[in-house]
Amino acid sequence: MKGIIRLQYRKIIGAGAQQPWEKYVFNDSHAEFLLQAQLYNQEKKYSSFSELIAHVPNAEKLHFLVSASVVGYLRQLNGKIPDILNNAGKLFLPFKGYRFEIIQSDIRDKSKHQVAINFISEPVIWYDTIGDQLLVSVNGDKEAGEEILTEQFSMQPFLSIYSLKKPV
Amino acid sequence: MERKLFLRNGLAALGIAAVVPLANACKKSSGSDSSSGSSSSGSSSCTATGSETAGPYPTVTPSSYVRSNITDGQTGVALTIKITIKNLNNSCAALSGALVDIWHCTALGYYSEYTDTPGGGYATVDYTASHFLRGRQTTDANGLVTFTSIFPGWYSPRAPHIHAHIYNSSGTSLLVSQIAFPTDICNTVYTTVSPYSNRGVQDTANSADMVFSDSLSTELSSVTGSVSAGYVLTHTIYVSA
Repeated sequence: MKGIIRLQYRKIIGAGAQQPWEKYVFNDSHAEFLLQAQLYNQEKKYSSFSELIAHVPNAEKLHFLVSASVVGYLRQLNGKIPDILNNAGKLFLPFKGYRFEIIQSDIRDKSKHQVAINFISEPVIWYDTIGDQLLVSVNGDKEAGEEILTEQFSMQPFLSIYSLKKPV
Repeated sequence: MERKLFLRNGLAALGIAAVVPLANACKKSSGSDSSSGSSSSGSSSCTATGSETAGPYPTVTPSSYVRSNITDGQTGVALTIKITIKNLNNSCAALSGALVDIWHCTALGYYSEYTDTPGGGYATVDYTASHFLRGRQTTDANGLVTFTSIFPGWYSPRAPHIHAHIYNSSGTSLLVSQIAFPTDICNTVYTTVSPYSNRGVQDTANSADMVFSDSLSTELSSVTGSVSAGYVLTHTIYVSA
C-alpha cells in the first residue's frame, strides 16, 4: 500500500453547460445569486461579483449563501463524484465533502456566471500505479490472504490528490 | 461536418428525451444554451468514455432554503415565526406572492455559515443541516408566511434578532430588515433554559442596539407562549411593492 488518499475534483460550470444536471446548477445558482447579491448591493451600484467582493464587506459570504441552491443537486449524485470514471467507464469515486464557489458572475449578464464545485472524495486506499493509472480500493483494506476489490482510473485535469495518509 | 452535427444533435435530442419524463417538464429553457460546448471541464481526452449516463436523471430542485421548518436539528425553545407582509403602495393591503427570507443564530449565537465549515473546511452533503436556521417562504393570500424554528440566542454586541429580506414575486429586493424580541421573554428564555442559560441574558438592550435603537417601534415583534409550550412570534413588515 502506498497510502490512504482523498481526491479532489474541481468541476467548473458556466454558460456553456451541456448536461441537464450542469444546466440546472448553472441556472439555479445564478437565480440564487441574483436574490442574494441584492443584500450586498442595496444601492445597486455594482453589477459583477468581483465588484461586490472588492467593495462590499462580507460579500464573500455569497459563496456560502448561493450554495444552498445546489445542495439538492449534489444529493442527486448519490454520493459519486461526477465525470471521474474508472477504467470500465463507470462512476466509482465516493464523496460526501464539497465546497461550492462562485468564480465569477454578473447581475446583468448571466453568460458571465461561472461556478465551481470542489468534490472531496472519501478516503480510498492507493495500492499501486499501473502505467498512468492508479490502483485503489474504495471499500477499505482486508486481511492478508483476502481478496480486495479494486478500481483503476487515470489522473486527469482538475483531479488531484487532496490528502495523503502514509501507511503505519 | 454534417455527420458531426447530426450526431451531436441526435445525442442532444436523446439526452432531452431521456430527461423530460422524469424532470418536471422542461422548465428551464431560458438562458444561454450555446451549442458550441466550450465549458464542461470533464474528463480529458485520454480517459475512458462513460458507459452510463449521469446516474439517476437529474430533476429541477428548489434551493434548500425553501422550507417552513428551518430547525435542522438545532436545539432550543420552539418558536413559530409568523410574518405578515403588507404593501404601503396599496393602502397597506396584504402582499401575496412575496418571497420572505429569514435567518437567525443558534441558541448559542452562531450562524450556519460559521459552524458549517469550521476552520474553513468542507461542507458535506450528509450534513443536511448545512444551512440551518435559514429559510424562504412565499406569502399567501393574507400576506402571511410561517416558519418553525427555535428561539434565537444572542451574540455580542447585538440585541436578539431575526434577519428578514423581502422580495417581490419576481425576486426584486423590496426591503432588508430585522425583527427584535421583547426583552422580558428573552430574559425568561436566556436564564431558565439550557443551553441559553449557559450564556445568560443578552449584553445589549434593544434600546442600545445599533440597529434597533432608532427604529424599535416598527421592528419589535410580539411574542406569546411559554418555555414549555413554545413561543409564537408575530410581526408585520410594511414594504413598498
